Amino acid sequence: MMDKTDRKYTNGEITVFWQPKKCIHATTCYRELIEVFNPRKRPWVSMNGAPTDEIIRVVKLCPTKALSFKYNSEIAPVNNTDPSPAMPEVRVMEDGPLVLKGDFTVYDTDGRELRHFKITSLCRCGVSNNLPYCDGTHRKIGYTGK
Amino acid sequence: MADNQDNNSEIPEVRILRNGPILLKGNFTFRDSSGNITTGEQELYLCRCGGSKNKPWCDDTHKTIGVPG
Repeated sequence: MMDKTDRKYTNGEITVFWQPKKCIHATTCYRELIEVFNPRKRPWVSMNGAPTDEIIRVVKLCPTKALSFKYNSEIAPVNNTDPSPAMPEVRVMEDGPLVLKGDFTVYDTDGRELRHFKITSLCRCGVSNNLPYCDGTHRKIGYTGK
Repeated sequence: MADNQDNNSEIPEVRILRNGPILLKGNFTFRDSSGNITTGEQELYLCRCGGSKNKPWCDDTHKTIGVPG
């Protein structure tokens, strides 16, 4: 049931739904990902603050399911404002990783092809424990992309 | 080469260079953290040591501070 206090936020790829009546302020979301879920900001959800997979990971941690998400491709009608949606895209996240969306062939330092799904996040801060991928360590070390 | 020649040649490449930056090469859209976009054939070298003074670009600082292999 939709409630008129419900909110939704999208980055074009997924939409995050927030149902405040279910929220018990367990603080899980903003302890995990303050770049996206910041209760002191309005709107309090910034979908450009982290890669989609990271947002999904934290949404799934919500203990009350006040936060949920859907892929926009599952939500009809698709409102696509991207002029060339098929074009592979590289996005530099502020103070975060490099996000590859779409078709890329990714090679490691030995020239071996790495697994790449719809989205891959590559470390830019140099200290991930799962190189070459991002593991969120940039937040702990205060990495800045400036 | 024989299989899927057209398709494969159009897929952009990402190479993690040993002790160096990330190389992006091919036809893709690049969006920086300010939302500036470039599209089309390009060859870009992006910092992955965290130390560049010209982020997101590589400025060879990794040669001074070392970079994860």
